[in-house]
Amino acid sequence: MSHGDGGGAAEGKLDLVPLIDTIMLLLMFFILTSKFSTEEKAISSLLPTDKGQMSSAPSKPVEEPKQVNICIYPAGMQKGYQPSEYRDALAKIRQPGQNVDFATLRVGADQMEVDGRTLSRSQNAEEVSRHINAIHGMIGAALEKFETGSGERKDQYPVIIHCFSGMSWRFALVAYDAVRYYESTKATFKFTGNPEELARMREVTFAPPRIRNYSANELGNELYEVIHMK
Amino acid sequence: MSGKKRKKHFDSISDELDLVPLIDVCFLILLFFILCGRLTLDQRTEQITVPPTKTAQKLPETRGWERVVVNVYGSTQNGKPPRNSIAMPPLLPWYSDKVDDYTGYQRLRQELNKVHDKVEKYDDPKGTGMKLPKAIIEIRADAETEYRVVQEIQQVLSDTIDPFNNMLPKNVKPAELKSFVNIDFTTRKPGEN
Repeated sequence: MSHGDGGGAAEGKLDLVPLIDTIMLLLMFFILTSKFSTEEKAISSLLPTDKGQMSSAPSKPVEEPKQVNICIYPAGMQKGYQPSEYRDALAKIRQPGQNVDFATLRVGADQMEVDGRTLSRSQNAEEVSRHINAIHGMIGAALEKFETGSGERKDQYPVIIHCFSGMSWRFALVAYDAVRYYESTKATFKFTGNPEELARMREVTFAPPRIRNYSANELGNELYEVIHMK
Repeated sequence: MSGKKRKKHFDSISDELDLVPLIDVCFLILLFFILCGRLTLDQRTEQITVPPTKTAQKLPETRGWERVVVNVYGSTQNGKPPRNSIAMPPLLPWYSDKVDDYTGYQRLRQELNKVHDKVEKYDDPKGTGMKLPKAIIEIRADAETEYRVVQEIQQVLSDTIDPFNNMLPKNVKPAELKSFVNIDFTTRKPGEN
């Protein structure tokens, strides 16, 4: 690019070439450094303070408390096998460095298969929405069977999501989303995002981890427990 | 005669009014503000694709509540125990590679303790005697993150396990725990990647 011969300045004209040079450089800089991200939203949750692994928790009730368990484990696994068989089945399903893409989502006797690839990788909004709606429908119908008939939502049986620790986060979150959606259809008030309102809503939590060192045998045991949970 | 005068007058003004330094300075100021804004506001610098959901709400501005974003990424590599990274920008991410490596959880707990000491507290409505911090921890986990990592982070947030002692349960009174109970999970609208 030419910067002029100086004749322009003598005539009192502003030399625009360096200005354009600079603007081009800045434009290039911003184009290269900026990244376009989608607008992010959030689902709120409240961790329980009166249960879990606290050593000084109140004495345990004799009767097991009523709760609704949502179980998530790799698709294709059935009840009635030994932990070692689940361990071997997992090794066949899960290739090194890969996640399990298909999950079974079960609430009581109701269950369905969830396609993780649609959830996390599909660009087709309609396809993703359809799949999420199907999950919401299944979980909603299952939760309907556990209604206690009490007026306050916080008095309903707590929902606990038991996801096999080796599955990806998308499955657990979509189950959480489905319960929250079901609750929004039953809610007596509209949640505005204020954290204090969460105490008035039904308790929905993720089960604490069962194992610590993630050996193949322990993963088999964990699968056995999740698959056989009521 | 008058035309000549006018031309002279015009020349003297354009000689005095040199716009180049003005433009230079404007660009410098613009650059300064753009870069400063980026440094202070962006807690979401990690390249993370959060999972899609339908009930999510726009991140609300909650007065009197501190919001802390925890970026999480974790995966299984070559069938080995999972590797994970936890980041609280502008701090650099903390990586854990091995089975007994709890670096990420330990550093997270240290930072959470600082937040806990700083913010306002309220009494636990469930009557456990705990003083809960007025802070919302936003877990911004990648859709492909192993569920285990998110699960353990929730345990670290509730302070019921000790990352400095092999992630074993803490043996203290509930009132002594530095628990964070208000958690947000970051999501996006279906189909937007």
